[in-house]
Amino acid sequence: MSFVASPASSREEDPRFDSAPAGLVSFADDGRIFRANARLAEWLGRTSAELEAATFDLLLTPGSRVFYQTHFFPLLKLQGAAEEIYLSLRHVNGDDVPVLINALRRDEAGGAVNECAVVRTRQRDRFEEQILLAKNAAEAASEVKSRFLSMMSHELRTPLQSIAIFSELLAAGHHGPTTERQREDVDGIKAATQNLVTLIDDILNFARLESGAVAVRLEKVSPGTALVRAESLLRPRLEEAGIAFSFDGRAHGTKVNADPDRLQQILLNLLTNAIKFTRPGGQIRVDVEAKGAAVLLHVRDTGSGIPEDQRQRIFDPFVQIDRERVPAKKRGVGLGLSISRELARAMGGDLTVESEVGQGSVFTISLLAAE
Amino acid sequence: MSPDVLTRNNVQVFGRGTRPMLFAHGFGCDQNMWRFVTPAFEDDYKIVLFDYVGAGKSDVRAYSAERYGTLDGYAQDVLDVCEALDLRDAIYIGHSVSCMTGVLAAIRKPDLFERLILIGPSPRYVNEGDYVGGFERADLEGLFKVMDKNYLGWASFLAPVVMKNADRPELSRELEQSFCSTDPKIARRFAEVTFFADNRADLPKVRTPSLILQCADDSIAPAEVGEYVSRHLPASTLRRMQATGHCPHMSHPEETVAAMKEYLARPVEVPALVSGGGLSASE
Repeated sequence: MSFVASPASSREEDPRFDSAPAGLVSFADDGRIFRANARLAEWLGRTSAELEAATFDLLLTPGSRVFYQTHFFPLLKLQGAAEEIYLSLRHVNGDDVPVLINALRRDEAGGAVNECAVVRTRQRDRFEEQILLAKNAAEAASEVKSRFLSMMSHELRTPLQSIAIFSELLAAGHHGPTTERQREDVDGIKAATQNLVTLIDDILNFARLESGAVAVRLEKVSPGTALVRAESLLRPRLEEAGIAFSFDGRAHGTKVNADPDRLQQILLNLLTNAIKFTRPGGQIRVDVEAKGAAVLLHVRDTGSGIPEDQRQRIFDPFVQIDRERVPAKKRGVGLGLSISRELARAMGGDLTVESEVGQGSVFTISLLAAE
Repeated sequence: MSPDVLTRNNVQVFGRGTRPMLFAHGFGCDQNMWRFVTPAFEDDYKIVLFDYVGAGKSDVRAYSAERYGTLDGYAQDVLDVCEALDLRDAIYIGHSVSCMTGVLAAIRKPDLFERLILIGPSPRYVNEGDYVGGFERADLEGLFKVMDKNYLGWASFLAPVVMKNADRPELSRELEQSFCSTDPKIARRFAEVTFFADNRADLPKVRTPSLILQCADDSIAPAEVGEYVSRHLPASTLRRMQATGHCPHMSHPEETVAAMKEYLARPVEVPALVSGGGLSASE
């Protein structure tokens, strides 16, 4: 239905103009209203004739006028259309009338015509407000949490360092000789301290990632280099667990855009996890696949697999599956996969998982291929 | 530093003249808003367009809450662009909030500007005592609500993707839709910085001659505000336009171009040494 400028285009010809279940209004670039239907006038407690003697921004609340002048009109003028614009109209009695507007702009011989369809959104307005409040509260809470985590980790590190230093002094017999039994106890303290330091570093890393404070420096990297280093670091654990490790020779010839330290961190994390969940005699293998502009690194294990209902949750912070199956001293806090995925994403890639219970899991790091 | 600023602020330079005209867009928009008036000046001037950090195709990564927490940060964008292009005696054209960033820039580096053309200037949007700015605080809260609601869906769907591609701004750009502001949080903060600013005390410090273009029925910068600016801005000329609204360069480009050309054809006025009123030329 066209309902535009020509002043003579008459309501009598098409009564649907006034009775349409939407407000209809057309105006010139200077805001002068050509036509406004009875529906819109009724919502504002006015008549069509009153509206047609006004300018469009006079129908709006002061705040909406600013939005109209700074966003809505420029958008309409520059792009010829605007959709789902939220504005508040003003009823003659001073009440706000929240609406959504779709607008189209046409160039006519006599100048441009901006046509709008207006829908009232009273109910929607109320719950959208609640969504906004909830969203703002959630964002604020998340920020507080990240700040808290980061502060706590810093505060915890200092006394832990003292514990580490004093246990070293004790073990070294600085203050007199220690018995065999005492040295065993001190070794226990040192191991537990190291465990705690690792956990706190994880939390600190995670907090930094969440707050966007971690910078990744992308460069041309060969995954082969990271894999060789990971293998040498993990060799004792692999041997202890009786697990065979291998990787695709193409890892050396392939180049990806990545931060070498971060890639190393992700690989170590995935491989450590794989060792935890794979039985003696099992295998861990890393395959390389070029896919369009991406390079995929598949870390496969023959471990216990991850039930379907847990597969996505494992990337959530502080989530651990099969916690009871992992010996206490090997447990983390459930941040490794969250951190790894955040790091992969920060490098423009991603981390995903496929798994079958009893068969094993495949974690796939996708990265951008380097020229 | 220069190439960085040119990318950061998405600086565009064109035109066949040598006298520089620097166009600074208003809140909610980007340099595209000037496209209806720049063709009239391309033959005779060197046209410089840019986007403030956070608007249009600027590099959002350059945004910092500290720097852009006041209009001084935006004025620094203007000065950075001038410096990067080595502009001297530029004609500065600012719309809306950019009138005040131009004022601040001209106070800090008067040599860079020959004259200022201020479209819809307001040194203070909020009414205060006898001063009429046109808005009560509650009105502006209404604006923030409208902004939040319009940016809500966009922010929640696009922000993570935009962040994800932070190292590749060109990808974020494709996702950019509707509003010219690149980032809803920055736009929201810019609104507060703009509408709660008070630059009244800065006006008398300006030594650069200026033209004030005042629209009829401007609901953002009403006639009283234009008169206030003209009384307090030395060597200013107030021109009341037939054009209505707040964006005459978009809604009434012909009249805007004519007013600018007429002003530019006049010799540069010598600024009064004592702060005082400007001239008034009503249509």
